[in-house]
Amino acid sequence: MTSVLVTHADLPLGRRIVKRLWHDPAVGQIVGVGEGPTPRAFDAYRVGSSPRLRYERLDLARQREVSDLFHSRRLREAGVDTVVCVPRHGATPEGPPSWARLPLRTAEARILLQHALESQAIRSLVALGSAFVYRLDAGHANHLSESSDLDLDPSVASSVRTWIDCDMLYHGEIGNPRLRVVLLRLPTVLASGGYVYLNPGLEGGSGPRLRATGFDPLCAVVADKDVARAVQLALHSRRTGVYNIAGRELMPLSRLGHWTRRPCLPVPGPLLWAAAAGAARLGREEWRATLDGPHRRFGFSLDTRRAERELGFRPGYRVGLARAGDGAMRIETVPAPSHP
Amino acid sequence: MTIPEEPGAGTGANGGTGTDERGGLLVSNPLASGGSQDADTSLHAWLDALERVAAQPRRNDARPAPRIRAPSAADVEIAPELRRLESWIGAGPLRQVSAYLEGRDGYDAFGLSRETLLRAFPFFYSIYRAYFRVQSRGHEHIPSEGPCVIAANHGGLLPFDGAMLVVDAMLHSDPPRLPRAILDRWAGTLPFVNVFFAKVGQVVGTHENFGRLLADGEPVLVFPEGVEGIRKPITQRYRLQPFHVGFIEHALRARAPVVPAAVLGSDDQAPILFDIKPLARLLGIPAAPVTPTFPWFGPLGLLPYPVRYRIIYGEPIHFHERFGADDARDPTVVRALANRVRRSVQTLIDRNR
Repeated sequence: MTSVLVTHADLPLGRRIVKRLWHDPAVGQIVGVGEGPTPRAFDAYRVGSSPRLRYERLDLARQREVSDLFHSRRLREAGVDTVVCVPRHGATPEGPPSWARLPLRTAEARILLQHALESQAIRSLVALGSAFVYRLDAGHANHLSESSDLDLDPSVASSVRTWIDCDMLYHGEIGNPRLRVVLLRLPTVLASGGYVYLNPGLEGGSGPRLRATGFDPLCAVVADKDVARAVQLALHSRRTGVYNIAGRELMPLSRLGHWTRRPCLPVPGPLLWAAAAGAARLGREEWRATLDGPHRRFGFSLDTRRAERELGFRPGYRVGLARAGDGAMRIETVPAPSHP
Repeated sequence: MTIPEEPGAGTGANGGTGTDERGGLLVSNPLASGGSQDADTSLHAWLDALERVAAQPRRNDARPAPRIRAPSAADVEIAPELRRLESWIGAGPLRQVSAYLEGRDGYDAFGLSRETLLRAFPFFYSIYRAYFRVQSRGHEHIPSEGPCVIAANHGGLLPFDGAMLVVDAMLHSDPPRLPRAILDRWAGTLPFVNVFFAKVGQVVGTHENFGRLLADGEPVLVFPEGVEGIRKPITQRYRLQPFHVGFIEHALRARAPVVPAAVLGSDDQAPILFDIKPLARLLGIPAAPVTPTFPWFGPLGLLPYPVRYRIIYGEPIHFHERFGADDARDPTVVRALANRVRRSVQTLIDRNR
């Protein structure tokens, strides 16, 4: 039986993963950490005198706080042997993207990796990365496998830069004989209700975004529930390496924006930067989240055959539109007919 | 040796090894040395030796390629979106496209959209039937399943040759197959065009895309001349330019046969009098052509003339029966095999002009 430390458990993806692992009989204790207060969603899981789930509030970008956690008796007593690194989201579902906090994503990855390597108890590390790290060639849809090149262009957008830095940090330890490292590269993550995570252009609250006229990049998407399943599979697998994780659906950015109530307004390419900057000055901070560089014109789909072959991951949820209780059409993730 | 030897291969007007291609080869060919005459002799001797090696049976060490199979056109109903066109187009072509799209919804990994393909097919079929009045033969050489690479000559300013070949292969294959044409990367940077091409099944030519298409068992259409083919002047029409070799590498890795195809008519649809290359470089476009109608009639001058198209498919060449995936890394082998395909296409053109 394995016990797990989940970072950023207060964020939507972290919460989803914690819930999934809590229902897994092969997982013992779960320690969730995050910057926010204890999520109310955890109340149901923290009953009894010695609950399987504990939550601690700490700043993962602070070396001292993370060090104290890894050397604490409570972590030792929980028998934690696996770390699930959920990344800092670019924005909360309700608010605008927090640009100033984005570089902390890299700092957190570095600190966590360092302590996981130093700790004798930690045997595995499962990290969530982003598929936006790949270099895109010209084209509506680039089909990308795990061996595709990363975008090491120094002028890459800062939001993507942090993903690349984290990716390279984890990638550097994949051959480590003591610590098993699994890196899951995720495309745009969608959740029921129309929430969008880990997409530099669509994160944050609903509202219009900008895209280049004449381009409508193809977007790979994955349901948040499938992300939790992939983490669970990676946890119990003995494999190490990088895996692309994606759902069945692919859709152009215009449709993705429409479905998630973030309509992407076409703006002529040369004016895109000026329009986004102008809107940001007028207080529409989320318009700055317009995809930068090649991602604003070129799309990608992910080759997930390696994850299917080695982890046994097949997307189990479909993403579609459904009419919500208030009559509005919203994104819904539902189990696919062949869901295991 | 099952590779068909064409009469006149290597000795025609532009047969076999052209001047440009020889120049390219001599750099990397270890057998070539000395003056041009010696180099010429060495090159031909080396190519002959390579063919002899190719004739020997070789261990078949690669795994079988996976296959994708659509239902036969006779087994499916016409898609509801196309039924209103039945009296105009006829049931046969509509059944073909409906059978191909059976079971496909949304977008595939390369952006092919069922919705867009259904809308675009009547337009391209009209051009195929009424404007270019396409005649074709040799469809039986396109494998009915599994991956294959269709290598054709390229001509005309706008890629109608690709569109006509795709429509032709779709109409004459059972079960219907849609060759996925490989586009130059420049096409992927064009606003609107990149989206439309992807939605009707065309794919930008990256190694990942090419490899995955063949691994999925798709037929892939390539124009190995690249943009050199579409910008060649009228004096060079139907004379093949040097071939790029990437398609051979992928064909060997995926164990896919190569089907040579000749498209006659494309070089007549917009005869280029001359290409202003400095202007093209300045504008960052592949060609700045002057034709009898362009730029005199503005953008309308780019429209192709209503020439008759003829498409001829040659016998498939099974390189993978003699060469393994490892040979894809050998530039001399790959270059020689590309030249072999080039000779086949040139022979098809010369025989049927």
